[in-house]
Amino acid sequence: MQWDLNWFICTLRSSIGKKLIMALTGLGFCIFLIAHLAGNLTICAGEDAFNSYSERLHALGPLIILTEIGLLFFAVAHVFIGAYLFYENFRARPEGYLVKKNAGGRTIGSVTMPYTGLFILLFIVIHLVDFHFVEKTDQTIYQIVLETFSNPGYAFFYIVSMIIVAIHVSHGFWSAFQTLGVSNSEYMSVFRVVSIIISLAVGFGFGILPIYISFIS
Amino acid sequence: MQLDSKIPDGPLSEKWDRHRFELKLVNPASKRKFKVIVVGTGLAGASASATLAELGYEVMTFCIQDSPRRAHSIAAQGGINAAKNYQNDGDSIWRLFYDTIKGGDFRSREANVYRLAQISNNIIDQCVAQGVPFAREYGGQLANRSFGGAQVSRTFYARGQTGQQLLLGAYGALSRQIAAGKVSLFTRRDMLDLVVIDGKARGIVARNLVSGELEKYAADAVVLATGGYGNVFFLSTNSMGSNISAAFASYRKGASFANPCFVQIHPTCIPVHGTYQSKLTLMSESLRNDGRVWVPRSPEDKRPPDQIPETERDYYLEERYPRFGNLVPRDVASRNAKVQCDMGKGVGDTRLAVYLDLADAIERDGRDVIARKYGNLFEMYKKITAQDPYETPMMIYPAVHYTMGGLWVDYNLMSTIPGLFVLGEANFSDHGANRLGASALMQGLADGYFIIPYTIGDYLAQDSHDTVREDHSAFNESSLQVETRIKKLLSIGGKRTVDDFHRELGHILWENCGMTRKEKDLKKAKKLVADLRVEFWENVLVGGSGQEFNQSLEKAGRVADFLQFGELMVIDALERKESCGCHFNEDFQTDEHEALRDDENFCHVSAWEYRGEGSKPKLHKESLEFENVELTQRSYK
Amino acid sequence: MTKARDKSCINLKLKVWRQKGPDARGRFETYKARDVSTDMSFLEMLDVVNEEIILSGKDPIAFDHDCREGICGACGTMVNGRAHGPEKGTTLCQLHMRHFSPGDTVVIEPWRSRAFKVIKDLVVDRIAFEKIIQAGGYISVNTGGAPDGNAVSVPQEVAEKAMDAAECIGCGACVAACPNASAMLFVGAKISQFTLLPQGLPEAKKRALAMVGKMDQLGFGNCANETECEKECPKEISIENIARMNREFLKAGLL
Ligand SMILES: Cc1cc2nc3c(=O)[nH]c(=O)nc-3n(C[C@H](O)[C@H](O)[C@H](O)COP(=O)(O)OP(=O)(O)OC[C@H]3O[C@@H](n4cnc5c(N)ncnc54)[C@H](O)[C@@H]3O)c2cc1C
Ligand code: SF4
Ligand code: FES
Repeated sequence: MQWDLNWFICTLRSSIGKKLIMALTGLGFCIFLIAHLAGNLTICAGEDAFNSYSERLHALGPLIILTEIGLLFFAVAHVFIGAYLFYENFRARPEGYLVKKNAGGRTIGSVTMPYTGLFILLFIVIHLVDFHFVEKTDQTIYQIVLETFSNPGYAFFYIVSMIIVAIHVSHGFWSAFQTLGVSNSEYMSVFRVVSIIISLAVGFGFGILPIYISFIS
Repeated sequence: MQLDSKIPDGPLSEKWDRHRFELKLVNPASKRKFKVIVVGTGLAGASASATLAELGYEVMTFCIQDSPRRAHSIAAQGGINAAKNYQNDGDSIWRLFYDTIKGGDFRSREANVYRLAQISNNIIDQCVAQGVPFAREYGGQLANRSFGGAQVSRTFYARGQTGQQLLLGAYGALSRQIAAGKVSLFTRRDMLDLVVIDGKARGIVARNLVSGELEKYAADAVVLATGGYGNVFFLSTNSMGSNISAAFASYRKGASFANPCFVQIHPTCIPVHGTYQSKLTLMSESLRNDGRVWVPRSPEDKRPPDQIPETERDYYLEERYPRFGNLVPRDVASRNAKVQCDMGKGVGDTRLAVYLDLADAIERDGRDVIARKYGNLFEMYKKITAQDPYETPMMIYPAVHYTMGGLWVDYNLMSTIPGLFVLGEANFSDHGANRLGASALMQGLADGYFIIPYTIGDYLAQDSHDTVREDHSAFNESSLQVETRIKKLLSIGGKRTVDDFHRELGHILWENCGMTRKEKDLKKAKKLVADLRVEFWENVLVGGSGQEFNQSLEKAGRVADFLQFGELMVIDALERKESCGCHFNEDFQTDEHEALRDDENFCHVSAWEYRGEGSKPKLHKESLEFENVELTQRSYK
Repeated sequence: MTKARDKSCINLKLKVWRQKGPDARGRFETYKARDVSTDMSFLEMLDVVNEEIILSGKDPIAFDHDCREGICGACGTMVNGRAHGPEKGTTLCQLHMRHFSPGDTVVIEPWRSRAFKVIKDLVVDRIAFEKIIQAGGYISVNTGGAPDGNAVSVPQEVAEKAMDAAECIGCGACVAACPNASAMLFVGAKISQFTLLPQGLPEAKKRALAMVGKMDQLGFGNCANETECEKECPKEISIENIARMNREFLKAGLL
């Protein structure tokens, strides 16, 4: 039987296996988002706090590089498998319905998952170009942040992006637990509530920054 | 033709054991060489297919539906009996045997019924092992409930979906054999003829319902498990596809048909409410465990049920039958409902209904307990009638439900055509003139899991079989006949639809050969059915072609057979000049209006032999010997 | 109180998918359903429309059905964009016309999924479900030799949970309703039933791998936890069963 031979690969190649990867990488991003958010919020403690947070982060050296490589790896997996799943799902119904109504299961999060995902990918590229790969020799990260957000167009884009991230997370978080098989009828509602809380925290926490900054500057 | 029931000698309780020992065995290596056709995937057919394949036979299995799991058995609600005596309430194999014989009003074979009771226990064990999620007590032991016609609690159940769960168990076993390559499954096939070569059943002709093609299949034995013929009445609790066609084709080829007039009318169904109605819905008999049946005392009383005080209600079953109360057998309960309605005491818009009231039980046990037992039945009732049974009593009326009659079989379940075996509701074997609740599932599974595997071996081992192939001339002849008939049906191009004819046939039979019968009515019905049949062949409109998926054509073939069969039913009812069980002839009743048997003249099975279109079938009698029970007037008072 | 039942009749406009055969091109056709009693079931309404079509010499609308009691799983179409119509926990045969209003347009389409080919009109081929069950949707016991039914106790709540899952009627509405045409609810329900019961445990691992593997092969989509299946399932099978299947599968595949 093919299962015995290549069981690990086979498991990962199955529909549930692919979803497992989506779930694990997705949860990884959730953890990253929370850590990132905590870091960002040091901006509220003032310029020094924020810069020293940034410095301490970079002082971690190889560890940070390892994390970055990890995140990149996660992102590639999440994006490619997500895209592949999307393609397979598209193929699974060659002829659509003339009328199709929501029976009450779908949420904005779930309906828009592939699209919010795609948007987030774009956002991340822009975000990295703006903040990560930016030339940092003659200005502190605090200044960069201040400068970038002082452009109202960019601030708006950023806020919208964060709302979209929140929408993505609202479905993604609980969905990951469902895929991992952790949820049962008792926990399911808990995961769904936590999912909403986290997405609100992410949307609000990140989205508030540009507004906060426009106030202080 | 001689009817030989092949009942083994010896004491009742040892017959089956002895018989099994005496049956010839097919050696394991040879089994592979035998092909067996099983038509039907209900409890009987699915269990037989799976078990025969496990033994090593090469099995071909057929059904009408797109999946074996959708056979009519799926709809059975209430439960399955077994003499486990888990409740320690005095049950035993003997008691189950006795209840069944008595319930059938002494018109079944002692030996068959005893065997059924013996096997009942193995069935439960088998099903549990297959993962059937039977209801359990808190302690984890199997739970039981009571059913009509018994004073012990011996019915095993899985909510209100026992048939579904048992069938899914058998379907699982069947699927496993399909995966193992031991069963070839043919779905969406309609068996239209039996092929008999040198006097032996050697194959079938079936129509592929998707492509419309006629297909031929040859084998060493044919097993029919095609269910009952309740749909001859148009309205019944049977699935829409339930039919007589396969059994009737076999009858035309020489298999005797036994007791066709024995039709069970179930007391607790949702009443008819319109002419467009396509089927009737059963409310499981298990409701009678906790429900009380009543009508207003006065025919003038048109008040809603909650305004009728206790003293003005007539709990007629409890009053007339104090010992069994609401749990009298089905025929008795049905007839009494009809009597009440005939007196004008019926309720509801049509006045053809009685109340089945669970208010007392809800009060006693609480809504939760009742919901756990009957929740899904209540929901179903609400969906159909838009009334909430938690608030207002349900309305019920009897409806055609089960057919005790069927192809005649001997103790080995073989019909009068060697090599043609008949299982489940399609045979006549175990229920006499009335079947007790929860015993059809038991019989279907007994036949399929535990009887046919032995008896078919005996037949195959004895016989010298030359291989027959599908190109044998008998197959061509048969296929040609079927084709001619299909062409005929399509070419009539009349003015009435198939359903229209079916509805009228049902009406004739329900009025004249239903819950109560009279000689005069039966004679009238015989003529009406014959006339209707003539009109059908001149004036039916089928439409479409034979070379495609054509549901109208499928139905037309079935109704054509029902029209012929309906007459046989009436003939049988006319011939049986007594009342017994479900067959209640008003001319034969006790002073208390109970069925009056005539054991001297009618203690027999009536088996009818086909003698060509237009000639009266020939009656053969298999007399029933009762050595272990005393024939008594059935009393549930 | 016995409410006087609504005996009213309504007129409807039906837009029905008609397709001669698996390879034929289909299209929508419009029919009038006149004087539909609100006590009728949806299928009885179609019966009446079909009678008229037959009498007018045309080909009646083909649809699958058998028990008309909500248990065989044969019936099912999309009705106005909802699998089995708008009522919760109801099969098409149990849907009654009292849930429609006079003058409504009713769009009737077959289940759509790559794994379910249209055979004719509203009839689809669900053989894929058979294949999945054949892959392992059973407990491998031969007839005979089973121990006493009470030899192994099964706690009541476990039996009830297993029964919740076992109630699936194999209708395919979950696939039809799923935005991704995934069969996870159907497969999850079967795997759950046998995982919960002690009798099913010995094969649990093999079963999960085989059934999921088969499901993947047959062209169903991937579950994205949209939960539409649970909402449309006529037996209200919970997606908890999908989680349980995921767990069993991952346990079997990775541990
Ligand atoms: C609503 C209802 C509730 C019931 N509840 C109970 C209960 O609680 N307890 C109990 O013991 N009994 C009950 N019964 C009775 C019991 O369900 C049936 O008697 C029993 O299931 C019959 O099983 P079977 O295998 O003989 O046939 P069926 O289940 O009827 O199967 C017939 C099979 O034959 C196939 N077939 C038929 N004709 C053809 C053909 N021409 N060509 C090819 N294939 C064909 C069909 O496709 C099907 O697979 C109930 C019956 C009804 C109607
Ligand atoms: S899970 Fe529900 S919707 Fe899916 S096949 Fe089973 S009963 Fe139908
Ligand atoms: S016809 Fe059987 S479920 Fe609808």
